[in-house]
Amino acid sequence: MFIRLQNLSRRFGGVQALRGVSLDLDVGEIHALCGENGAGKSTLIKILCGIVVPDEGSMLVGGVPLAAGDVQARARAGVAVIHQESAAFPDLDAVDNIYVGRELRSRFFGLDRREMERRTRGLLERLGEDFDPRVPLSRRTVAQRQMVALARALSCECRFLIMDEPTAALSRRETETLFRIVGQLRADGVGILYVSHRMEEIYQLADRITVLRDGQFVCTDTPAALPRRMLIQRMVGRDAGERERAPARVEGPGATVLRVRGLTGERFRDVTLDIREGEIVGLAGLVGAGRSEVARAIFGVDPWLAGGVEVAGMPLWPGDVQAAIRAGVALVPEDRQHEGLVLAMTIGENITLAILDTLVSGPFLAGAPEDAAAREMIRQLGIKAPGPGLPAHALSGGNQQKVVLAKWLAARPRVLILDEPTKGVDVGAKAEVYRLVRELAAKGMGVLMISSDLPEVLQLSDRILVMSEGRLRGELPGATATQEEVLALALPDAMGVGHA
Amino acid sequence: MRRLMSALLREREAGLVALIGLLTLAAAGRDPSFLSVQNWRDILVNAAPVMVLACGMMPVIVTGEIDISVGSLTGLLAGLLGVMCSTAQWGWNPVPVTLLILAGGAVAGLGTGALVTFARVPSILATLGLLTALRGVMIWVMRGNQIGDFPPAIRWWGTGTILGLPVLVCVAGGVVAGTGWMAVQTPLGRRLFALGSNPDAARLVGLSEWRLKLFVFGWCGFLTAVATLMLVGKLGVVDASVGRGYELLVVTCAVVGGVSIRGGRGRLRGVVLAVLLMVMIKTVLVFLKLGDEATKWERAIQGGFILLAVVLDHLAERRSADAGGHS
Repeated sequence: MFIRLQNLSRRFGGVQALRGVSLDLDVGEIHALCGENGAGKSTLIKILCGIVVPDEGSMLVGGVPLAAGDVQARARAGVAVIHQESAAFPDLDAVDNIYVGRELRSRFFGLDRREMERRTRGLLERLGEDFDPRVPLSRRTVAQRQMVALARALSCECRFLIMDEPTAALSRRETETLFRIVGQLRADGVGILYVSHRMEEIYQLADRITVLRDGQFVCTDTPAALPRRMLIQRMVGRDAGERERAPARVEGPGATVLRVRGLTGERFRDVTLDIREGEIVGLAGLVGAGRSEVARAIFGVDPWLAGGVEVAGMPLWPGDVQAAIRAGVALVPEDRQHEGLVLAMTIGENITLAILDTLVSGPFLAGAPEDAAAREMIRQLGIKAPGPGLPAHALSGGNQQKVVLAKWLAARPRVLILDEPTKGVDVGAKAEVYRLVRELAAKGMGVLMISSDLPEVLQLSDRILVMSEGRLRGELPGATATQEEVLALALPDAMGVGHA
Repeated sequence: MRRLMSALLREREAGLVALIGLLTLAAAGRDPSFLSVQNWRDILVNAAPVMVLACGMMPVIVTGEIDISVGSLTGLLAGLLGVMCSTAQWGWNPVPVTLLILAGGAVAGLGTGALVTFARVPSILATLGLLTALRGVMIWVMRGNQIGDFPPAIRWWGTGTILGLPVLVCVAGGVVAGTGWMAVQTPLGRRLFALGSNPDAARLVGLSEWRLKLFVFGWCGFLTAVATLMLVGKLGVVDASVGRGYELLVVTCAVVGGVSIRGGRGRLRGVVLAVLLMVMIKTVLVFLKLGDEATKWERAIQGGFILLAVVLDHLAERRSADAGGHS
């Protein structure tokens, strides 16, 4: 065994991201790592790279234990990593991107630029690229940046290579080049840990597949012993069938409140969907599928490039949040600490932030109605706080989320878009958020709920839309859909259909 | 015209050379003695301390930080220098005092760096505090006196010559050459740019953020001490206002010279040209003979350049963002 991971655990705040995972990785083979969002893949990779220190467990390379959190010790031990393209230095050129941190030196303390440049050209040629390596990377395409990252890994002549979603930004031609290189590396005796959501790639490349779920090791098997259906089952878990369903709706669906037609933006394409009054529509998909981007476009935070959005028959303009709010759209963003709440303000001030226009008397804010409105919301939502005067940062995550919900409820929107409404919220508060969302829908609001938590999507949604790589891949009825069905649609399988 | 515009957007140095050329032509057209060796010698001598300070500031900004306390540190070090050297006061030997001042500058810089890296105070706030605090200490050190009796060994920094060239110009030239070599030709320099360009990615390749930042602040403090010796040697007199406003002049030069205030981008030759441009404005205003009032426009013109530089940066960024989006 080249790399031996033993009993790794790591907790982030209230979330146990990794729980006693042990894994053996050998040289000369391609080992695929699979799991849903939140299964612990990224945490495992970060520990492998040395950027996250595990709470427990150890990592041996070639039988020698490595200090946790020492990035350069891994490079010395022959372990290289290809990070996603965000890990590039946009202001540096390809040569510096490849060699920074382990520069080739000439006499004195100087750099051997010429030799680094010569080798860079050689590496890029091997990868089928022939652009000028002396131009800052910010002027290169995303795919070219990814190739530079690959060149960096190749340049260290490593014995083990970790690839985190290496094809996410590549076209078909570049993906084929990448696969050819990966095959060569394996033949040369390099070990590869390959993380990808693309099933086709995994079955084309992998010698072994390891599945993680909820931060725990599930199984390691050969692709032959783990056919696609079974792999998805393992990723989802067995308890998928047993769950509470949304009560069957009694009244028929109301009028359409949100109509989206052919909406196209930088990270999504041709999205068409309808939401009716009183309906909860789940928008499922993997992280990065473009769901939040669609929500932001509908709400007018980002402009869209083509298509249209209508709310109750009224067309909205691209990039106009004010118009969206006037038309009755509300967005509860994923990142409530930064986008949803003003943490330094009181609960009451947060709740009334979106309805200040209605609470004025003359040029001044009317204190009494503001206070009353806030108290009413706190009572309705069961926010656990002594009164509206408490600062928002003093609340727990679940109660903060309720305050964000309250802010938009006070505005009485027609369409409520929730982005990961229970992220970082504990189990008890989750149930309360679910109850609230159902109540809101019952009052006639159309709800579009983005969630990466599959059981949550299944439990709440009347209909489920599944996105993958910027497109809607299908619709499932909420009453009968299973986690396997949703995941099968969410996992991109056509290779090289990058959305960049 | 379009091509010229885009060249100016892309290559800051070309624009600066064009501006310097334009100002020179205008001033020389009015009074040919602007082209005299003596005049250019004066301009270079005036620019020298600023040049050294800019060489200290540039690496700091490249890593995404800023140090706006350099003017006050200059003042404090000048005050200490005066108190230690002045025959009327302590009257120490100027050689160890010089070494002490250089070491003091470096230590002060390291202290700022420690505040930023270990205490995690944003550098703009940490150095804003130091801007006021160091000036206050200086005023206390000076006790309201003006110190003018510096020994020749200190005056040499500002008035001496080496092979006919002013010491000021030689030192500034050496510092520029050294800093330029460090920035472009050494692993250390490349890592500073990498850190400023993408701190997260820098961590992924195993760069040590605190070491690099401690270095840039220490380097900046050391060069501030060098600039102090030059300035005091040149002025021959120290009072409570020495170095006041230098921090803004130096940051202005860096930004006008094309150093991105967000870090990761910038070239020393741009900064050197910007220093020349900023310093020659006053001389040019004198030579244009627009009357006594005209020289009072110096600050306003310098400020105009910083706005122009920021707008140009913004335009260039938008263009490259557009290019990236469609490629």
